[in-house]
Amino acid sequence: MIGAGGSPFMYLEFGDIVIYFSPYTLSLFLLALVFTVLVIASRPERQLDIAFGADAYTTKEISLPEMRFRRFMAIACGLASMGAMVTGDVFDFCLFTSLVGICNVGIVAAVRSRHVQNAAYQYGLVALAGTVPLFGGAAIVAATTGTLSLIELSKTVLPAAPAVAKGFLVLGVMGEGMAPFYAAKAEMFRAPGAPYVIMCSLSSLLIFLRVIEVVLQM
Amino acid sequence: MTGALYSWGLLVVLGSAVIGFGALAVEKDDLHRLLLIDLVEIASIGIIALIGTDLAEALILPGLVVGIAELLALSQIYLMKEDLQDRPIRIPRIEVLQELPAPLILSMILIVYGIILSGFTGGAVAGLGAIFFIAARAHTENLHLLELASGFSWVLWIAAFFVFMFLPEYWYLALMGAAVGILIKVITKMSLMGVMWEARS
Repeated sequence: MIGAGGSPFMYLEFGDIVIYFSPYTLSLFLLALVFTVLVIASRPERQLDIAFGADAYTTKEISLPEMRFRRFMAIACGLASMGAMVTGDVFDFCLFTSLVGICNVGIVAAVRSRHVQNAAYQYGLVALAGTVPLFGGAAIVAATTGTLSLIELSKTVLPAAPAVAKGFLVLGVMGEGMAPFYAAKAEMFRAPGAPYVIMCSLSSLLIFLRVIEVVLQM
Repeated sequence: MTGALYSWGLLVVLGSAVIGFGALAVEKDDLHRLLLIDLVEIASIGIIALIGTDLAEALILPGLVVGIAELLALSQIYLMKEDLQDRPIRIPRIEVLQELPAPLILSMILIVYGIILSGFTGGAVAGLGAIFFIAARAHTENLHLLELASGFSWVLWIAAFFVFMFLPEYWYLALMGAAVGILIKVITKMSLMGVMWEARS
């Protein structure tokens, strides 16, 4: 099989579900892995607020339990994006993607600030709405082609998945990955704690890159 | 599985999803939007169900679990952002709950019927009986015993699954173990819910 991301050189089979490593998926997987390791190892920053018009600044204190929880969520997010990078099953990809969405909400929602929580809530609503086209797209793929395996789908014997299913998948990933929703993102990124917040950005970038390969392969 | 009715079914489900999203766009109250989102989520389950094979059944469960997980996370965020952590909950004053022999008899009937049903449904029925009994009593119970029973029954359930996978010739034992495990598990979970409800009021 020669997929959109180069021909895979390694398969891990779990019954029906086949995980495959092609040059594309492997490089995305390694990116997620490296960043997860960085999140585990790094020490969180302290945010400085500079007062305008005066020569003054304050450091925000963040409690240890809050940081621990956010680190846990960031690691979970890294694991979910690693799974989404290498899985060879459309439905598994959807599950991992929505897991990334939940973890992103969790990373941000742990901050004890009303503004940030409000933004996280609104983003959560978008992510939850995103699961409808996401799972809907996967279901339409299964209904029209009879399989969910990307390896089967890349073969030309099967009828091609309809464009609406591909569109639904991309729309769902947009909902989960929050990349187009910068209006909410700005508020979320005011939340202190550097390495963990970047995880939201990186994971949404990764699932965007992967869904391109998934859609091209169908 | 493109049957003749698939396209029509898809049209109906997508139409209801569009109506749900429309309501979501109009609604401004945060809590109502959460509830509407849950309604829209049903449409995605509907699209999966339209596949109409065994695969659909296998796919609905994880889809539902992910949806519920997101819903739980969001409602927790809602509670935090609106500061709704400690709202008092009152038990309704119902006459049957006040008289002593009535709840005992009713909950005994429910528990016995639940054990006869067995499995998940039986657990729910028997648990309802246990809740009813606890709700009718004035003093609080010791929760640790219930938690312990819940934990052990969970272990029993998992162990039964391992027997299914590795020692399939003892399937009958595993079936009974899983049935009893899930029965006790659901009973204890539901009665724990009842006890916590009582304790908070």
